[in-house]
Amino acid sequence: MIAANIQLQKPGFELRAEFEVPAAGVTGVFGPSGSGKTTLLRALAGLEAGVTGNLVVSGAHWLSGSHSMSVQERLVGFVFQDPCLFPHLTAMGNLLYARNRAKNSSYQIDLEHVCEMLNIHDLLNRKAGLLSGGERQRVAIGRALLNRPAMLLLDEPLSAVDQGGRNYLISILENIFQHIEIPIFYVSHASDEIARLAENLILMNQGRVIAHGELKQVLGKIDTPLNASDEAFSVLRCTIKSHQLPYLTTVQTAGGEVLQVPRQPLEGDSVVRLRIRARDVSLSLQRAQESSILNILPATVVALSPEIQQGTRTVKLDVAGDSLLARVSEYSVQQLQLQPGKAVFAQVKSISLVG
Amino acid sequence: MLSADDLSAFVLTFQLAGVSTLILLLLGTPLAWWLSQTRSRWRSPIEALIALPLVLPPTVLGFYLLLSISPSGPIGSLLQALGLPSLAFSFWGLVLGSVIYSLPFVVQPLQTAFSSINRQLLEVSATLGAKSLDRFLSIVLPMSKIGYVTAIVLGFAHTMGEFGVVLMIGGNIPGSTQVLSIAIYEHVESLEYGQAHWLSGILLVLSFAVLLVVYTTNRRGFKVSAP
Repeated sequence: MIAANIQLQKPGFELRAEFEVPAAGVTGVFGPSGSGKTTLLRALAGLEAGVTGNLVVSGAHWLSGSHSMSVQERLVGFVFQDPCLFPHLTAMGNLLYARNRAKNSSYQIDLEHVCEMLNIHDLLNRKAGLLSGGERQRVAIGRALLNRPAMLLLDEPLSAVDQGGRNYLISILENIFQHIEIPIFYVSHASDEIARLAENLILMNQGRVIAHGELKQVLGKIDTPLNASDEAFSVLRCTIKSHQLPYLTTVQTAGGEVLQVPRQPLEGDSVVRLRIRARDVSLSLQRAQESSILNILPATVVALSPEIQQGTRTVKLDVAGDSLLARVSEYSVQQLQLQPGKAVFAQVKSISLVG
Repeated sequence: MLSADDLSAFVLTFQLAGVSTLILLLLGTPLAWWLSQTRSRWRSPIEALIALPLVLPPTVLGFYLLLSISPSGPIGSLLQALGLPSLAFSFWGLVLGSVIYSLPFVVQPLQTAFSSINRQLLEVSATLGAKSLDRFLSIVLPMSKIGYVTAIVLGFAHTMGEFGVVLMIGGNIPGSTQVLSIAIYEHVESLEYGQAHWLSGILLVLSFAVLLVVYTTNRRGFKVSAP
């Protein structure tokens, strides 16, 4: 378990973070820019001076009262937004720099294996300055791994990478995260990255932790600032069923509801995650006939967000056991008389299959 | 051609410049590092103090140094109390003067080089387990090569050319404190223009060569302030 109750006072900014997450798997740290995500990560690493409070990681006191473990003692791997390769060394030199200083003896990691996972074999003899953004970030991730960290911290690692490189890097990260058994904190403001990679979620806003816990549980909390905004989204775990319809793949939710998504080159029975933006879901009282919308699901209203932003509310729905969020206007809420327990049809305009 | 005294002035000048540069590097490195990293309110006063020799007439510096190393001055009386020989009119007195006189020429290029290093690189290095000395040796030093070349060359060349400070605290003892610049002055005073030509010509060529090295290595626009 990782338990934190930390504070940091900086000019014009205050961090107050209290959370508890399992010391395994990927914890996403999500929030708008300026909400303190990076500062939280830096505080976990010990890179911020003046942090007070308590931080316990798997029984070890990284911070308690005035005693603070040094950066070096914490054995964290930190991947910054900007890859920050050492410019006077080659890619290989950067990897060896980390490997030669690795102090953690609780597991081994093979240089060859790391290069293979990150596909950086061909880059090893090049100086950092001669690599593209995506290549540099891959080497930086390899460097962090070869130091055999006890915890991996990634601060928007995809932000310095172009769109094509992003998709590639995210699939590499997904693979790595499945193979290493250390806690990982992944900071992002992109909901598709969070939906794809995170198992747990810490929601941040204005320097505070708003909610923390298992991903779906946190996303399902109706009263968070995230869910009061247009950024609200849901994640559904589905199983691939068939490829019978033209251009489409049929998937099934845990509760048995069927959805059509753009054709995927995936085999039957593989498990995928869907991210559905709340603003792509609309509600009606009757099932629309002959509609261009493919996915219309029977649902029950569970709750409505207490806050109305720009005349719009978030409605939490139950779709055969899964929770789904919809953004609808307050006018429609009144017209359709939406209230908990009401049966509706959710029309899903767009789904992205994230992994 | 060169007399025996001229030759010993050459040797002495190079010895002085070499020893002073070495001391300047040992002293200038931590000083420049501190200046490049600190947010202390002492930073500006100390920077100004280090830069003083850039604007002060060397004779002023030499005058105060002479006072302080004289038997009644603070340094002189301290050395006397410790039973050490006086610095006045000695090689080590010249070294002391040169170090103070050339300090800005070493500290400024190093400070510029250190300040230009991205702090995040040092943070990465710390997360990888490198302690401060390791970080300095493995990241800062190799990334500051150009700064060091500039500092060494400028420190050396500036010490080679000093005159006023040396004259005030070292006097003009051939073979012991008579450096090149003073030997040239002597020759001119005695109307030995031929000798003066030789020494001056050699110094001119040497200094140009040295500066050429600095500017070719620093093509990336490294600014060095000169008086």
